[in-house]
Amino acid sequence: MFNAGMQGGKPRTPYHEFYADDFTPRDHYRLLWDHIKATGNNALEAKAHESQLALQAEGVTFTVYGESEEGIERIWPFDLIPRIITAPEWVKIESGLKQRVRALNLFLGDLYGEQRIIKDGVISPELIYQGRDFRREIVGIVPPRGIYTHISGIDIIRDEQGEFLILEDNLRTPSGVSYMIENRVIERRIMPEFFNKYRVRRVEHYPSLLLAALRSLSPRGKDSAEIVLLTPGIYNSAYFEHTFLAKEMGVELAEGRDMVTINDIVYLKTTTGLQRIDVIYRRIDDDFLDPLVFRSDSSLGIAGVINAWRAGNVAIVNAPGSGIADDKAVYPYVPDIIRYYLGQQPILNNVPTYQMTNVKDREYVFDNMERMVIKAVSESGGYGMLMGPSSTPALRKEFMDLVQENPRNYIAQPVVYLSRHTCYMDGELEARHLDLRPFTIYGEEIEVVPGGLTRVALRKGSLVVNSSQGGGSKDTWVLAE
Amino acid sequence: MRYLIEHETVLEYPQTVREHHIELRLAPRVDGHQRVMSCSIETEPAAELATYTDYFGNRVDYFCVIPPHVRLVTRLRAEVETLKENPFNFEAIPPAGEQEWLREAIRRAPPLNDYVLHRSLLTPVAMKLAEAVTCAFPRFDKERPMLDSLLELLAWVPTVLEYRSGTTEVHGPLVEAVSQGSGVCQDFAHLFITVARSWGIPARYVMGYLDPGICATGEELATHAWAEALVPGAGWIGFDATHNLLANDHYVAVAVGRDSYDAAPQRGSFKGESAGELPTVKVTVQEQ
Repeated sequence: MFNAGMQGGKPRTPYHEFYADDFTPRDHYRLLWDHIKATGNNALEAKAHESQLALQAEGVTFTVYGESEEGIERIWPFDLIPRIITAPEWVKIESGLKQRVRALNLFLGDLYGEQRIIKDGVISPELIYQGRDFRREIVGIVPPRGIYTHISGIDIIRDEQGEFLILEDNLRTPSGVSYMIENRVIERRIMPEFFNKYRVRRVEHYPSLLLAALRSLSPRGKDSAEIVLLTPGIYNSAYFEHTFLAKEMGVELAEGRDMVTINDIVYLKTTTGLQRIDVIYRRIDDDFLDPLVFRSDSSLGIAGVINAWRAGNVAIVNAPGSGIADDKAVYPYVPDIIRYYLGQQPILNNVPTYQMTNVKDREYVFDNMERMVIKAVSESGGYGMLMGPSSTPALRKEFMDLVQENPRNYIAQPVVYLSRHTCYMDGELEARHLDLRPFTIYGEEIEVVPGGLTRVALRKGSLVVNSSQGGGSKDTWVLAE
Repeated sequence: MRYLIEHETVLEYPQTVREHHIELRLAPRVDGHQRVMSCSIETEPAAELATYTDYFGNRVDYFCVIPPHVRLVTRLRAEVETLKENPFNFEAIPPAGEQEWLREAIRRAPPLNDYVLHRSLLTPVAMKLAEAVTCAFPRFDKERPMLDSLLELLAWVPTVLEYRSGTTEVHGPLVEAVSQGSGVCQDFAHLFITVARSWGIPARYVMGYLDPGICATGEELATHAWAEALVPGAGWIGFDATHNLLANDHYVAVAVGRDSYDAAPQRGSFKGESAGELPTVKVTVQEQ
């Protein structure tokens, strides 16, 4: 993918979002900095406490699954100092995401259709045919307006030079949007004075944008769209978000057992009888969506829903099969995918990535494992990952064996020192690494909600921001012009 | 040849089940070698059937029975004419050009990659299988016509496996059959496919029916299974490893796939208690 040996020996300093140098905040943080200094630590402590109480009262939680089978429900970790993105920075992020989402949807339509990109030799057939998430069951089905990823949560990081890079594409059932909104609600309540000093763009309208996009897909027209949010149930780590979005949009929250397909029409079982459903916003994976065609042991899905979808009687959001486009082994090719379908250069670049199927890349990675992140291609949420700098020799050996056994299943990236931001940590202002997950909705057109979920690695020096791995979060402000 | 095929599947449950969805891959395929004169499927309880063509090109008939029931029956009745009297009747191309022919075929139709790349428990990596096989694998010789190597492979499979009805499960792992040295027709087909794929030749699984005159005594008369390989110059040719025969007009092909799972004649999902009931299947194939 790219030439090995490009890293010099000099120490690398992460980009600081807040400070231009040791003593000076960046221009757009100046007002906030002045305010924090004037407020003083005691007041900040009180506000931090207040925010905890508010999150607890609101029941904003998420579930962590670790060593034990049972999940632990935690209060959503929130840092009260907001992250600020300037209007010009946002223009770049927004246009880059729109371009990427447009290209990835064309790619999906092609893969499940003619496969021109394979015939033209841009993408190797092995990459697709050995991908776990290429769904043969849906080949030939064209979803409404050719849109597969109605909702994307693409992760962006900032490298040492301050350049925004795409870290990974999340196109299946990306989560986190409820926390983006809750963070804003809490921030407004706790720090109303901050909002007087900045023109911050809104994010709270996300549920109405999503609802409009869902309605636009209804086979019976948007004015008579019956919508459900399909959840795997209370044991899912994102169950809070499922209930949150269903409530905000005013749609039914349903589980597979509440639904039935009869002769290609999908119904919700209600106390007053069967109600026809037009749009399913599903928060369960393809594998579990329909036991008739995917995993037959799934009790979470709706038998027959794929046939109903094929018949055009119901919309499924995101479309089944979207996962092949965010397969981490496909990720290195996304710049080529953008060039192939759009004839444009990517606006946002990828993080350099080594292909484990390439022998030279693999050997280089094995020689430099302490400086690499190795990721399993079909995992997400920080699972199945080796963080080189903090790894033990035993763990590195384990990953080496795993990679050698199934190279298609892994990629490696040099550790990128994610940008840092000032956080209020136990009475001190300290720098922590963070990333950004903005949310893109592809309805009548592609829209990126100005903001996103900023995830923070709470442990000092840690580069792992995933909520499932103990990450925290910040309110994310995108400034108006 | 003309055949009348009847295929009945009865599912019975000790307690009622409901919301039962079924997909059938039962309708004989239609191509240059096979004509379907009539084909009807009925169900009990009666249901509305719909159809689509799946990724592998199979016709799928599907239906649902929503109310509680303890018994579900499907019946196929089809009249088929088979036309492939001589499977060797094709214009062979010189061995030197065969690889290029295959490469070009795959380049034009990327889904063929599945029939080379796919690995499952049913068609594992040949290397894994080699440990269980006592006699050496046949070698693929690029200097000779591909068909010769495939015919050697066809003759080799019955030296590894002995036909014994009911010795393995339909979707049981191939390694199991090979290490015990016996299996049913699915295992024979999977073994052929596994080795052909390791040579880079597209190979697929076929589920269908066989003229009862071909069956050895002791074979259960149900659906049969064999393999098809993409042979340069010829297209798909059927290899019946169970009988060491090339498929001709005594064979009626129904569904194809990467392995027996893809081409399963019946697949279903229901709500209710299940004790892993096995269907009762009755197949008759009559020459007309």
